[in-house]
Formats: sequence, C-alpha cells, structure tokens
Amino acid sequence: MTNLNAIDPAAVAEEAKIENNDVVIAKSTIILRRFLRNKTAVTGLVIFLLLTVLSLVGGAFSSWDKETIDPFNIGVGPSSEHLLGTSQAGIDLYALTVEGTRVSILIGVVVGLVSVLIAAVYGCTMAYFGGKVDKVMLFILEALIMMPALLVVAVATSGGGNGLKQNLPSWLLLIIVLLIFNWMGTARLIRSLSMSLMQRDFVKSAQYMGVPARRIVWRHLVPNIGSLLVLDITRGVTGAILAEVAFSFIGIGIKVPDVSLGVLIGQATSQVSTFPWMFWVPLTVMFLLTGSLAMMNDGLRDAFDPSSSSIGSAKKKKKTT
Amino acid sequence: MSSETTATDLSTAERLHVAGLHTAYADAPAGAVLSVRDLNVRFNTENGVVHAVRGVDFDLMPGKTLGIVGESGSGKSVTSMAIMGLLPDTAEVTGSVRLKDTELLGLSDKAMCRFRGNDMAMVFQDPLSSLTPVYTVGTQIIEALTVHNPTMSKQAKEARAVELLAMVGIPSPKDRLKAFPHEFSGGMRQRVMIAIAIANNPRVLIADEPTTALDVTIQAQVLEVLHTAQEETGAAVVMITHDLGVVAGMADDIMVMYAGRPVETGSVEDIYYNARMPYTMGLLGAVPRVDVAEKTSLVPIEGMPPNLIHPPTGCSFAPRCPLASEACLHGEPDLRAVAGTGGGTLEHRAACIKSESLGGAVDVHEIFRAPELPVSRFDAVPRAERTTVLELTDVRKHFPLMKGALIKRRIGTVKAVDGLSFDIREGECFSIVGESGCGKTTTLLEIMEFHRDQDGEVKIGGLSNKAASDAKTKAAMRRELQMVFQDPTGALDPRFTVYEVLAEPLENAGMDKPAIRKRIMELMELVGLQPDHVNRFPNQFSGGQRQRIGIARALAVNPKLVVLDEPVSALDVSVQAGVINLLDKLRAELGLSYLMVAHDLSVVRHISNRVAVMYLGKIVEIGDVDEVFDNPRHPYTRALLSAIPVPDPQLERTRERIILEGDLPSPLDAPKGCNFATRCPVFAALPAAKQEKCLSLEPPLESAAAPGATAAPASPTSGPTDQQFACFYPDGELDADMLVVHESL
Repeated sequence: MTNLNAIDPAAVAEEAKIENNDVVIAKSTIILRRFLRNKTAVTGLVIFLLLTVLSLVGGAFSSWDKETIDPFNIGVGPSSEHLLGTSQAGIDLYALTVEGTRVSILIGVVVGLVSVLIAAVYGCTMAYFGGKVDKVMLFILEALIMMPALLVVAVATSGGGNGLKQNLPSWLLLIIVLLIFNWMGTARLIRSLSMSLMQRDFVKSAQYMGVPARRIVWRHLVPNIGSLLVLDITRGVTGAILAEVAFSFIGIGIKVPDVSLGVLIGQATSQVSTFPWMFWVPLTVMFLLTGSLAMMNDGLRDAFDPSSSSIGSAKKKKKTT
Repeated sequence: MSSETTATDLSTAERLHVAGLHTAYADAPAGAVLSVRDLNVRFNTENGVVHAVRGVDFDLMPGKTLGIVGESGSGKSVTSMAIMGLLPDTAEVTGSVRLKDTELLGLSDKAMCRFRGNDMAMVFQDPLSSLTPVYTVGTQIIEALTVHNPTMSKQAKEARAVELLAMVGIPSPKDRLKAFPHEFSGGMRQRVMIAIAIANNPRVLIADEPTTALDVTIQAQVLEVLHTAQEETGAAVVMITHDLGVVAGMADDIMVMYAGRPVETGSVEDIYYNARMPYTMGLLGAVPRVDVAEKTSLVPIEGMPPNLIHPPTGCSFAPRCPLASEACLHGEPDLRAVAGTGGGTLEHRAACIKSESLGGAVDVHEIFRAPELPVSRFDAVPRAERTTVLELTDVRKHFPLMKGALIKRRIGTVKAVDGLSFDIREGECFSIVGESGCGKTTTLLEIMEFHRDQDGEVKIGGLSNKAASDAKTKAAMRRELQMVFQDPTGALDPRFTVYEVLAEPLENAGMDKPAIRKRIMELMELVGLQPDHVNRFPNQFSGGQRQRIGIARALAVNPKLVVLDEPVSALDVSVQAGVINLLDKLRAELGLSYLMVAHDLSVVRHISNRVAVMYLGKIVEIGDVDEVFDNPRHPYTRALLSAIPVPDPQLERTRERIILEGDLPSPLDAPKGCNFATRCPVFAALPAAKQEKCLSLEPPLESAAAPGATAAPASPTSGPTDQQFACFYPDGELDADMLVVHESL
C-alpha cells in the first residue's frame, strides 16, 4: 500500500480542478482508459473490428458474389481473377468467406450477448428474491440443462423443423436454438455469485437506504459480476461461433445455400490435400475471430474490475498525464 | 530451494563466528531459555524486498512473560514465525535465535521438528481453523505426544491427554476426548490448542494473539488458562498482541514494535507508567479506559506505518510523530537505555533521540494535539425534555429450529430477541453490549428491516412501523435512520468510486446533480478526507479512511439516528482513536443520536451516554453509562466488566476478577427462570432455597428502588435513577470459585 496521506503535487493540481467542476470523471472514461492500457486487448479489438468491417463491406471489393458461378474457374487456387480461389462449384471463395464471416459474427455476437443478458437477468432475479421464486426458476433451469441440445438442434434445423424453416432463414433458427441452450450454465454461476453478493454489507446498506430492488440489482449486483459477464460475453461469442462451426461441420447447422465459416470448413475437409485453400482460408478467418476475442478477454476484465492488477499502472499513468 | 536458503544462513552464522563478530551470547544473561539477536526477515515480493523485521533482540527467562505489542504490519507475527521456523522458504531470515545452547536459525525443517511442539510450542490466533476438523480432539492431542515420545504407550498417552484437557479446564475431559472440533465453541477450541501446545512441557510458549477472536468473557477464561499453563509447565511465554490491556496483566516485560523494529523495551511498569517513545505514548493514549469515567478525547496517531520496501532514512515513526524535528530525519535512532528507570529483567530502552525529555510528566494529549472534547448542545438539556428519535416496544424475534430432511418438524425456538424495549433521545449515544450470540446484531436488523408484521413496535422519529404501509412513510422513516457497518471493506461496493458511494443515498433522496456534488464535497470535508479523493475506489484507501467514507455515506441524507454496528472493531488501535474522535465530534456538531453495538466495553464507555447489557435476547441491565459501569447491579454486568483487561499493570494484577464458567447456553435448553442462572456467580453462592426462585421465575427489568431490593443506595444524582436491572439478588455474594485474584507480585 502506498501512503495515501502524502500530499503530492499532482494532488494539488487536482484540487484546482475541483474548482472547475471537472473533478468527477465518468465511470465509462475510467473503464475506457484502463482498457486502452492493455496492448494485447486493443490489438484483439482492432482485429475483431477489422473482420467485422470486412464482413460488412468486403463484398464491394470484388466483382463476384456468393451466387455467381464462374464456369471457367472451378476449383482453382488463388489467382488474379479470384483472389482466394474458387470453390468446387466455381463460386468465388473470397465472396463466400465474407458472407460466411458475416453470418458467423452475427450468430456469435447475438448469441453471446443475448444469452448472457438472459442469464444475468434470470440469475440475479433468482438470487435477489430467493425462496420459492428461486426454487421454481432453478427447476426450470435444471430441466433445460438436462435436454440433449445436439438432438434438438438436429431436429430443429432438419426434418422436424420444416414448418419453421419455411418462415425463417437457417441462421436465425440456429441462433434461436443456440440461445435456448446456451445461457443456463452462466445463469447458475451468476445466481451463486449474486447470492454471496447479497450477503455483503453494501447491498444491505443500499436496502437500508431504501433503494428499490430493481436499482440494487442493476447498480450493485450486475456491475459486481461485471467482469464475469464481460468474460462470459466474449467467451459466449467464441463459443457460439465454434458451436456454429461444429454444427455446420457435422451438417446440422447452417444449410446450403446459406453459407457460414462452418459450412465452408465442413465442405473442404474431405479434400484438404487437393484444394488446401478452400480449407485454410475459412479456418484462418475463424482463428482470427476467436483469437481476437480471447485477446480482448483479459483487458476487458481488468478494465471493469477495480481490484485487478492494472491499478498499479493506472497511478503511473495519472502522474504523467 | 530450502537447501539453498539453509546453506546461506549457515554460512552467515559461520562467517560471523569466524570473524569473531558473533558476540551475541556474550551479553545474554545466564539461564535465558531463548535468546534472539539481531533477527532480520526479508520477503521478496513483486514490488521489491520487504524488510519485515529489522533487528529484534530479546532474552526470555524461564517462567517469565514477554509481551510484544504493535499495530498490524509491525512485524510481531513474523518475528514469532521466524523463531518457530515457520516462515516460507522465500523469506530470508538472518541473525540468531538460540534455544538454550542450540542455534535454531539455519536448521532444516526436519531438524526444527525436534524442537517445535516439544521445547517450543505455539498457540495461534484463530482457534476455528487451527484444529483439523476431521480428527477428534483426542487424536490431535495424542498426535502431538506421539511425535515427540515415540516410546510412550497408548494408555499413557490417553491418560496424559485427559490430564491436559482437565488442566485447561474442559469439563468431563474423558468423554470430550472423542469429540470433534466443531462440537467445541471458540473458547473451548482455544483451550484445546493450549493443551496441545503444553503437551510436551515446552520451555517456550509463543501465543500469537491468542484471544483476539474471542469474546471478552471467554478471553478472560483463556488468559486464565494460559496463566495456569505457564505455572504448570514453568514455560517462558511470548505473548503477541495489539491489545495493551491483555498484556498489562500477563506480561513481565514488554517490547513495543513499530515498522519491524523494537522501538521501546522495558518492564511493564516502565512502559505503562514511564513511556519514553512517542509511539508508545500515543498507543497508550489511544486506548479508551473502561474504568475511568472522566471523558477526554483519545489520542489519534495520524498517518500510516511506513512501507518497508524502502528502508527508512530517518526515524521510522517521524512522519507520524508530532515531535519530529530535523534531527529525527537523519539516521534511525538505536535503542538506548533510559536513565533513572529499570528494575525489570529487561532494561528500559527507547529508540528516540528525545527520550530524555519525555518523562512521566508529559501529557500525551498535548503532544499529539488531541482535539478538545466536543460538547453537544443537547448535553445541557435534561434527557426527559429531548425528543425521542427511536423507540422500541416489546420487540421480539424468534427463529424456529427445524429438524428432519423431508418433513421438517419444530424442535425448538431460538429467542434471538425476546421482548426488547428502550428509547433513544436526541443527541445521545445508546450502546448495546453483550457476548456474541446475545442478540445485539439481530436487534439492529429488526430496527433496520422494520415492517408491519413485526412482533413489537419500532418507532422511528415518531413514525411507527405499524403505520408504515406505503412507500412514502417508509422512505420518511428510512431518511431518519442510517447505518455504519462493522467491516468498512465489505460495506463499500468495490465497483463504486467514492463519489458514487456517496451519491447513492442522495440520488435516492431525489437531489439534483449540482446539489449532490456540493453535498459530497461537504461530506468529504466533514469526515476529514481530501475532497479530491472522490474518484478513487475504496480499495485505494486504508481501513480507517474507508470507515470514514462509510460514516460520510450514513450522514449524507442528514439522518437523526445513526446505527453503528461495531464501528471500530476492525481497525487498529491508533486508527480507532481517530474514528472515535470523529464520531464524538459529529454527534456534538450535528446533534446526532447513535445506536451502537460493540463488544469492546472501553469504547462503549468512552462514547456512550446510556448502555444496555444484553444476555440471551434480553436486556439484563440498562441505564446511564457511568452508573452502570461504576455500580453494576446485575451479576452478568459485573462479570462482563471485570473481564475487560485494563491497560494499567498494577491495577490489572491486583484486581479481583470474575471468571464466568462455560459459554452461552444453547438456545435449546434455555433455562426456564433467569436466563443467566446457569453461569451466575451469585446464583452459585446462594442457598438452595433461594436458588429455587431464580430457576422458576423470570426476573423483570426494574429500577433499583423497586420492591424486592433493599433500599437503593443513594445515587450520586438526586431524583430517580435511570438504571434498571433484571435480577432478584443484585449485589449478592459471589461464588468464591469464580473469583480470581492474581497476587503474583
């Protein structure tokens, strides 16, 4: 512990700032500053953003799209005409990868965010109210955990879900199915964490001040499991992307003509030696995607968690600026 | 790793021997069991090398007790661990520790095992975690015997274990041998720890804060056991504590440590009556006294102990010392003999260049610029004329005790709070005291969590809980009442900056932003924190500062009543003084009322106006703090007060002490009549005919003048006294078995 009582010049300078009323730094600024301090995390974020941008506007850089077949170039390697080569059907692989990346990111982000959100609300509610509410909600949760997710996915996206399939694109169907089965573990974790938080004095003190329950959950419980939530979002995104890849790979996820990274990888595995580019290109993109998220993980946690070790560097920073 | 350290240690010792510099034992008095010379401990941490213990010397004579006193982080425990060889391999230990003729430093862990638990034994601070939960107590005692006496027969070991348990005062020791640690209370477990420690008749017994985790009445019991143990074994005892009261009665010599160095050593009398080092003087002045009615403000020692990563260039206490001058900043002063005192086995020495000018006549309050005792404007108004801020009428909280896995049936009731009535007037501090488990905290919770269906009435600022049906009334009641928690770390959301912590109650009260900002700056000033610290997170503050933030939050909405749940028990003595002074000041300046729960009766006496003593959910005595403390009527109050150690060695050695037997009775077999009868020293001395009354009737809470009692002794103030108690035989004869007087000197 450093001596907090010592008055240093920086403190005096800050005192002058109080007069100008900008002494209170917004929490978001503090979090942003802490995040930006972690170089690895920033690199991860940059890679992720680049991939996202590419997946959104990448189609404009190529004259080919994911449906046009080039009958003169079927299954050829990278060339000046087709930057990343073509698939066995003669479709430009670059266009396919861009499309696949977009679908994968969409699935990942939506599933990651929404499932953690559901888990947080569900878990915190259970912990805050406790008693009967907790018991009933826990029963539903356990029942869902015991459902065989793989079979349901297979049924929903293939034969059994025919009715649904007519109205919904296969990626949306996969999102819904993944969502239903993705949030329970996190919800249980959040429940137990929140329950121990509920016993802490600061939650009690807020209750004694008459702060409404809704606000206590939002201001005290959620931020205190914040680092876990953030980790779970990035992990959930990664998990969803991998799940999509895995499901598509075994043929029960995204169905052709929809493309995703998983579909591309799955189609190419049988001929890795003959058409290596078809396999390695989508795989590299997938690694970049999940890798960048993993890189962001630590930085996000440190930014949100005041007790993490990045505090030390925060002090150094303050003095220099 | 271990062999490496060992090798370097050995070589250090050898080198010193060869160079003829190892004069350590030349001055060691003959017959010393333990001689420590120039003990240094360094830890390698991420931030650098922490020099935790810097040159400790002492000699321990057989049968004597050395008290090591200091704040947390002063190196007391590290010293004891170094002596026992219990520090991790990463710690670098140099110097010399001699047990009789054997050098202990540099011995391998295996070699040390011959001494640990045999010649040297240790009693640890936390009895709850020092015993293995999966083995019976008997197994654990026998284990200690087996290790050092492999030839001892099984029967002999068992007999010795029973003997040991009996010695430390565990009833029916033979049956208890087969009990598991969880079947014992905290005090009992500490007794078992002592039994294990003295199993092999050690020559040195190190007790590291042996009573810190225990209640005062239990503390008195355990100290008594330690005393017996010392007498039985003739061991020399090293007593490590932060409580100056505990060592006053126990120790022969005292060593005061600060920043890893002894700053003052001497006999108990030297230290307590003739301290020559400002730190010692400050520590003594920071402790409130339970036996003194006259109120003076406490001596706060500002600042924090230095960081031991950087070696201090001057006196390590200089940054906090009010007497520090230019000369103090150049070179650390050595321990030097203080002229004109002494007489103990340990020479009176102090590490202060000004020790000569600091005698017994110097007023510590002046030196440390202790603030004037603030006077509240309510003090002049008679109590009856002040408005009531809180009134409790017959509040009860009973918990059903259920048993059974599937079908639960009620096997009993825990009467945590049983018919509590009291009121608090404007500007006064009302305290509730009692052992843990007596219902203090439940009472606070009943008040804080008031609702309509409660058993009993809670009236806050004139509004009753029975009328609190709508949110508006509730909010109005909440505004009158705020709470400060025991653990300052847990009470502040680690995710909130101080600004957010303080803004929460204000936002909730519907204040607009500029007003909130202004109020927060006011609050920071009020509790003595720098206003520019509002952007920091709570973990960047020290314990005392965090408690100040907690107080600021409680004061944010201008409540009439602040509920204080053990507000200073988690803080160091010197920091505690600052917080108590702040509470005193705020009460006077803002006209606040406090409802305080505390187990430290000295603090209670210092800060309160009125006090209630609780036992098993009931108030057994209530009244003005000076009346109750000076003239306790209920035997429980008398026992409680006599259990508090006083930081005055002469008084402490000669005074009569009531040692209560046993712990709080289990709520399942709560007595039918007077709750306290099972442990009551008066009851034990009563003839059988009179005992009947205690067992069958519940004594009501009455004032002294009530029928049944003899004519009340003339109270110092005219008019009806405020004091009430619940006992049929107040001031009765005490049972001789429960009285202890030490006349060792």
